[in-house]
Amino acid sequence: MAAADSPSAALRHRDLCSRGIRLAGKMRLDVINLLDTYVERQGLDASASVAAVEGVPVAAVERWDEQTGTQRLLENLVAYRAFRALLAQMLEEQREQLGEADTTLGRALAAVLLQVSAFTYHLEELLRLESRGPPGEEGAEPPPPPPVSLFERKLRGLRVLRELAQWALRSTRDLRQLAKASPGSGSVPSPPNSP
Amino acid sequence: ESHIQYERVGADVTMKCGSMDWDAAVTWTANGTDIDESHLNGSYLILKKVDLTQSGQYSCYEGSSWHLKYQTFLRVGTPPKEPLLMCRSNNYPKGFYCSWHLPTPTYIPNSFNISVIHGTKEMICEKDVFPKNRCHIRYLQLFSTVKYKVTLTVTNALGKNSTTLTFDEFTIVKPDPPENVVAKPVPNNPRRLEVSWQNPSSWPDPESFPLKFFLRYRPLILDQWQHVELSDGTSHTITDAYAGKEYIIQVAAKDNDIGTWSDWSVAVHATPWTEEPKHLTTEAQVAETTSASTSSFMPPPTTKICDKGAAVGSGAVAVCWTAGLVLAAYGVLFI
Repeated sequence: MAAADSPSAALRHRDLCSRGIRLAGKMRLDVINLLDTYVERQGLDASASVAAVEGVPVAAVERWDEQTGTQRLLENLVAYRAFRALLAQMLEEQREQLGEADTTLGRALAAVLLQVSAFTYHLEELLRLESRGPPGEEGAEPPPPPPVSLFERKLRGLRVLRELAQWALRSTRDLRQLAKASPGSGSVPSPPNSP
Repeated sequence: ESHIQYERVGADVTMKCGSMDWDAAVTWTANGTDIDESHLNGSYLILKKVDLTQSGQYSCYEGSSWHLKYQTFLRVGTPPKEPLLMCRSNNYPKGFYCSWHLPTPTYIPNSFNISVIHGTKEMICEKDVFPKNRCHIRYLQLFSTVKYKVTLTVTNALGKNSTTLTFDEFTIVKPDPPENVVAKPVPNNPRRLEVSWQNPSSWPDPESFPLKFFLRYRPLILDQWQHVELSDGTSHTITDAYAGKEYIIQVAAKDNDIGTWSDWSVAVHATPWTEEPKHLTTEAQVAETTSASTSSFMPPPTTKICDKGAAVGSGAVAVCWTAGLVLAAYGVLFI
């Protein structure tokens, strides 16, 4: 593997960041469209407030601007791995609930799941470039079991998609911050060209 | 002892002369002018259906001694109507501000109280020194799905009213317009204009939170705008301008991912490059400067604007016409 500060690593870093930004942007737009479809098909109120749900990664963060590049990547990776499992669960529930009756929602869910998987892999690549390597998934907790009641499952699904939309926005911003820094500089963010 | 008394427009007001008995002989004045006895009921002053012009200082004097027995400042006004409240982030991700005003004046002093709640947390909205009806908040969190709830209560001596706004962090993001918009002609290019601008100075970090831009332009003589959306960069070359026509150009900005477009920037004007005007010559003058001709035929005194690419004045289109047609063309151009 190239040294973190080699020219090829810098190019690869820049390429991964810019492609990641485009991936996250496209993913966000698709999640927002999926949200509209989900709300409509599940008969929910789009403005309903849904309390935090255990196991759904929360995008909200304090002191976002003070995070290091590595922190950003790690938090993103943990979140998207969780979303990957949650979306797979939602897809399965949706198939059980509606069967083949609603393929539009099913297809949209599957498409977003694919993007989340691709983005997860992208993040792992960026972490490898940071010379850190992504943490293994062996120790990761499985998603909590889905709620028993159908209505609670729908609300959880709403929460998942809302947080995913915000995560996609946060990821875009995180990758832009990363693109400003050089690869391998996992320390506290400092102005460009400083030691 | 002086008082301030607030009364609603249209109310009936009764003023007592301090501790004087009802049947005491008194004189009332309004802003130093005696009030007619017809407004008195004993020593009480009765004002029916007060209006704004009746605001002022009311004084009561004991009949014979002219000792001042009571004084009050009457302020006629109205209770507040529902205030108009607006919140906006023009400096994302630093924070946002809220500003407010009343739809109609109350004519008496009002106090405003604003509360901002994010989830279960109450946030402090720091009041601006100027303008007075504004306060700002720093974002403590970013990327939250929890909405902000802002409640403004306005209170005066005659009543209170309030309004509430609920919004997501990203929906209120609206940058200020781009600054220093400059439009210049491009030398030797009669159909181009080069436009450049700067990010609004209030936008704190355009590198991490890039803006995209919307440019609109039209010749002054037309109403229809042309639009161009630009996802990066702070300059653009218009390549389809009408030659010689003065253009009006404006630019707006928006965060690349969230929020709404800014207002349009200050308009700038520019005219594409045109070639330097050459002297007008008449056929008669040309004929004089050439060698003597044996022909006795004198052509009519027409005027030709010279060859292709030339122009007369910066506002004209470069063409070759005879005099009559030239005049007609000028007439069309300068309508």
